[in-house]
Amino acid sequence: MKGWMRAVSLLSIIAVTVALALGTASGGLGYVLPFPGVRDLAYWFLFTALNPSTPLFTVMSPEAVTSIVWDYRGLDTLFETTVFFLAIIGSMALMRGIEVVKKVEERTYQIGMSPIVKTVTRISVAAILAVAASIALHGHLTPGGGFQGGAAAAVAPLLLIVVFSVYFAVGSHINKKNMLTIRTIGLLGVGLTAFAVLIIGVIHGVGAYVFQNQPKATAPIGLPADLFGSLTSGTLILFNFFEFLAVAAGFTIVFLLLSVPERRVMEILEGGEKDEH
Amino acid sequence: MSIDVNVFLFSLMIYTIIMNIGISLYAIFQRPNIIKKIIALTILGDSANVLAIIVGYRAWPSPNRAPIPPVLTNLHPTGEDIQMFTQVAVDPLPQALVLTAVVIGLAVTVFLVFLALQLYRLYGTLDVRKITKLRG
Repeated sequence: MKGWMRAVSLLSIIAVTVALALGTASGGLGYVLPFPGVRDLAYWFLFTALNPSTPLFTVMSPEAVTSIVWDYRGLDTLFETTVFFLAIIGSMALMRGIEVVKKVEERTYQIGMSPIVKTVTRISVAAILAVAASIALHGHLTPGGGFQGGAAAAVAPLLLIVVFSVYFAVGSHINKKNMLTIRTIGLLGVGLTAFAVLIIGVIHGVGAYVFQNQPKATAPIGLPADLFGSLTSGTLILFNFFEFLAVAAGFTIVFLLLSVPERRVMEILEGGEKDEH
Repeated sequence: MSIDVNVFLFSLMIYTIIMNIGISLYAIFQRPNIIKKIIALTILGDSANVLAIIVGYRAWPSPNRAPIPPVLTNLHPTGEDIQMFTQVAVDPLPQALVLTAVVIGLAVTVFLVFLALQLYRLYGTLDVRKITKLRG
């Protein structure tokens, strides 16, 4: 009876979906999807993303998405980074006092998976970090950017934790304190880059804006679009690099907190943190 | 009345995603386990993101080439290249907004996972029917 009901409800959902699609495809709404063009705003973004003939409007980045994320709507992304920062701070506040203590025994380096897995991991961790850096630093040229690169780079410490054990990771300086330092450097860098052109403008005595990248009509100053002949798109490469640091370190903190042995957590929760102080 | 197969498949995709959103909402409201609620929440967020990206898609052919990603492959474009690019590239704005939404969704999910973990450690249950009866 139960399985019969479930089959009927599943079939009815599929039938309704196909019927709605048939209705739309036959012009039931007065138009058919998808629309042939894009909106005027999208034309403008695509037209000005990399257009040396309009120097007052262009971002000098061939990647229209990164142009929007870090230039046209840079303030959005700054607050998005803030939300991410606050979520991880909230997680750390929930897990306060809970941390893996570094083991000094020799056995620390013998636990974990088999030597085959460990050797493969040593090679692939280097490759993962290289790919992540490539994703992040080419964010203004190809699909990708600071966040995607950071998320890819955080796989490396996760692999270390799973394959070598969390004690090995803490022993190789991948601990909460160091990651917080890297994360703070990244966030400070994002903040400073947002103010970079304004600071340069104040020094030179010309008008400039927060989150400015290329020269504008009333603020004829900006960061150089290319460096030694290769395109860097002004502030975009700096934003991507610092966001890469912040996101990679933030995810590493999450993985470290989630991999604390459960017995140790219960000891701290029940023992009133006596052994901590 | 003739139905283009490509248009039908595109409409089917959109309605499938909308149904997916509905099913995940059902799971969020109806399932008692918090972990299942969090999984359904991520499905809801991802479905909404895919829907937002599809809003920026443009029909093929438009006018005579398939739509391309909003990335200019020529670093020294002429005016003609840029005109061609604006004629065939998809809308970059939904993609940028989805990038923001993905990060925020991930941050919220991380926080919710930590809340659920702490809840389980302190009270030994993840069933909302039992959690609502807890006192003190």
